[in-house]
Amino acid sequence: MNALLAQFLAEAADLLTQIDEGLLELERTPGDPELINDVFRAAHTLKGSSGLFDFPELTRLTHAAEDLLDAVRAGELPLDSGMTDDVLAAFDLIRGWLAHVTGSESLPPSAAADAAVLITRLRTPIGGEAAPEPTTVEPGRVPAWLAYVDEEWLAATAAWLRTTSSQMRFVRYVPDSGCFFRGEDPLHLIRQVPALAHLDVIEPIEWPADHDEYACLIGFVFAARAGAGEIGYLFRYVGDQIEVADLDGDAIQRYLSGETGEALKVAAPASGDDPDLVTEARAVLAAALHALTTNPTGSAHLISVANAITNAAHVLGDPVEIREPDVVTLTATVTRLLGDTPPPEEPEGPGSVDDGGQVGSRILKVDQAKVDHLMELAGELNVAKNSLPFLARAAEEEFGSRDLAQRIRDQHAGLHRIAEDLRAAVMDIRMLPLSVAFARLPRMIRDLGRRLGKDVELVVTGDDTMADKDVIEALADPLMHLVRNSLDHGVEPPGERRAAGKPATARITLDAIADGDAVLVDFADDGRGVDPARVRRTAYDKGLIGAVESRSLSDADALDLIFRPGFSTAEEISDLSGRGVGMDAVRAGVEKLGGTVTLRSEPGGGTSIRLRLPLSMAVTQVMVVSVGGQRFGIPVDLVAESVRVPAGEIGRVLHQDVVVLRGEVIPVVDLARVLEMPCRPDAAADRAIVIAGVAGQRVGLLVEQFHREVDVLLKPMEGLLAYADEFSGTALLGDGLVLLVLNLKEVLGLAARVG
Amino acid sequence: MTETQPKVLVVDDAATVRAYHSTLLTEAGFRVVQAANGLEAVETALTTPFDLFVVDVNMPKMNGYTFVETLRSDTVGTPAPVVMISTEDRPGDADRAYAAGANLYLVKPVPPERLVRIARLLTADRVAAR
Repeated sequence: MNALLAQFLAEAADLLTQIDEGLLELERTPGDPELINDVFRAAHTLKGSSGLFDFPELTRLTHAAEDLLDAVRAGELPLDSGMTDDVLAAFDLIRGWLAHVTGSESLPPSAAADAAVLITRLRTPIGGEAAPEPTTVEPGRVPAWLAYVDEEWLAATAAWLRTTSSQMRFVRYVPDSGCFFRGEDPLHLIRQVPALAHLDVIEPIEWPADHDEYACLIGFVFAARAGAGEIGYLFRYVGDQIEVADLDGDAIQRYLSGETGEALKVAAPASGDDPDLVTEARAVLAAALHALTTNPTGSAHLISVANAITNAAHVLGDPVEIREPDVVTLTATVTRLLGDTPPPEEPEGPGSVDDGGQVGSRILKVDQAKVDHLMELAGELNVAKNSLPFLARAAEEEFGSRDLAQRIRDQHAGLHRIAEDLRAAVMDIRMLPLSVAFARLPRMIRDLGRRLGKDVELVVTGDDTMADKDVIEALADPLMHLVRNSLDHGVEPPGERRAAGKPATARITLDAIADGDAVLVDFADDGRGVDPARVRRTAYDKGLIGAVESRSLSDADALDLIFRPGFSTAEEISDLSGRGVGMDAVRAGVEKLGGTVTLRSEPGGGTSIRLRLPLSMAVTQVMVVSVGGQRFGIPVDLVAESVRVPAGEIGRVLHQDVVVLRGEVIPVVDLARVLEMPCRPDAAADRAIVIAGVAGQRVGLLVEQFHREVDVLLKPMEGLLAYADEFSGTALLGDGLVLLVLNLKEVLGLAARVG
Repeated sequence: MTETQPKVLVVDDAATVRAYHSTLLTEAGFRVVQAANGLEAVETALTTPFDLFVVDVNMPKMNGYTFVETLRSDTVGTPAPVVMISTEDRPGDADRAYAAGANLYLVKPVPPERLVRIARLLTADRVAAR
């Protein structure tokens, strides 16, 4: 992606956040002039920047929002919540577009239609109308009215456009002679043209003697670098009176029919043996060297550096000629030029290359894939290091050197510490503050609250607590479910609250705190709470529990029922949370992260829900199989397929069990035997075989039964078990069982040794 | 004689500094156009070719770095020399300026004769080409 576009996207994201926050803040302190101004400025900046790209809908929509905000800012009308909704909707739409731009560098096809709807809504309060499309642009042809444009200017512009291979937008605007009676102001329009480069007025060849001064008889031809959207929008009411042509340097040159721009006279620049000039030349060269170390990629920058070097070399009396500038050649040239003359005291301005140490923290943006790769490598280092104890044992047993064995063990201890530190350090890179996960909630609470007619205030604490990026990202959905549930079922309407002696405005608190290797997120509201009796009844009605159970359940266990799939306490299904995304989705989401959810509630006194999440996670997808009555996990990325074959089809070749699958002979390893699990052969039954690809080889693993594939949080084996190499780790299954995940490479090595 | 003089865009949000630099360069024979911030400067640079840019770093709306990056990007794509002049001298500022596309990074105050010397030096080829 073009660096400018990337820059724009980053800037736009910031501006959108500012706009969102500003508007929400404005609802709390309506009419705050500074806030309105901030929001307006952000919108204005966004519009301005968007004009640099060819996203006409984006520019027009932002412009409409800006105009509305401008009217509010000028005090022409108060900002009501309907308008706020429209403005928020506009910027939401834009946020979606920008995501599309990030992927495809273009707006989605629906942009024009979506924009039109919102633009109409935004313009209604300021008495605007829907913007008609401007008249069509002539494709590439040079219009005759270009003759109105000053030729000298055209020649210079053509030459310049050719050096930048860019285009200039030419527009002819001939206002209707009765335009003044329709409230149109041609001069004002022309003055509003962004990036106006040139303007010529078309006058009548002969002014009529009895000229009516209320009739407009002139026209305009102007050139501008404004985007098509800007021009179209500006002239939206007089679209039929303008004609637009985009011309590049070559087209203009052709139009001028070989007439080259006239040769301009040379003004001699100061040069010679001025000692100060020599110092400056050296400064310029040193700066060029500095610029070259940044590895300029854009040709414009590189050419500018080459020109600066040429100029400096000329002053130094050592002219150089640079034909095709590239970083290596230029660097060599500068180094030579600087080396040929004695170095002055201070070759360049302060802040030069050898700037001591860096002060303050510098942020480095790194591609996530790089960090993930680093994480993998750190993991591999941990695995590799575990071979050292075996080496030590071999040294002792096979080579009889206890001394060497001890030294290897010492090395292992040291390496172990470093590898662990490395893993921790890499994990730390991935840490983000929880505020990232919380960011969407204020907006959501506001919107839902308004729709439901409930006043809710959100209080967030501890949002600077850090957790792994994956955890943060996966937390967003459960949190949104909690917010929906709370607003939908927990928080009462203001009237009910007042009747219960509570403040009309409900309060939702969100508190995050680190707790060892976990992070606790406490979500609480002061709503009506959950009534265990009602939960029991509902669960019984829905058949989730039996009559006996409904009586014997403790209140705490009863509350836990709301996490069961199919449970919903709301009598009516609302469009917010009643449709299948209940608390079971929250629990499922959190457990997928390897966390837990607990709920406490006081009837009438509110609900608090605690999410306990691991600080970091490494989710692995495993296929669960059972062997000898016990379940094991096999990493899914190693599994090619699972097949069932009749027992008789497993043959034996050279002491190795094999199965022939689609003509391919695949060795089969009986996992029960390798793992020394009790084997219960049933001669008649089909054999379940997992075909895995390990180290480039296809191997069949004989198992008892296949089960589902699950996402698990893999924890490395610790303590004594750390040496059980046939397992890559353990994982907690949803039902509380601990799953041992096989390290197939080691298992197969073991199989070879078992024979 | 207008077309023979090299054209400079002076970009600075401080009106005083802008006026000062403009006067210096005008007296030295340059044609000077002013802009109060990066955004304004981009608009100007999009419509007029310049032989030199003298750019402040800290400005509202669009700072000097972004402006210079824009100048060097495909959108404007000008190879004209850029001198960046900063009020503050923090570590890394020069790096940023050069990475953005500047040809010379100076810290204020720049002695008037030095600014003129540098302006002439950097525009020598462009003037000679006429």
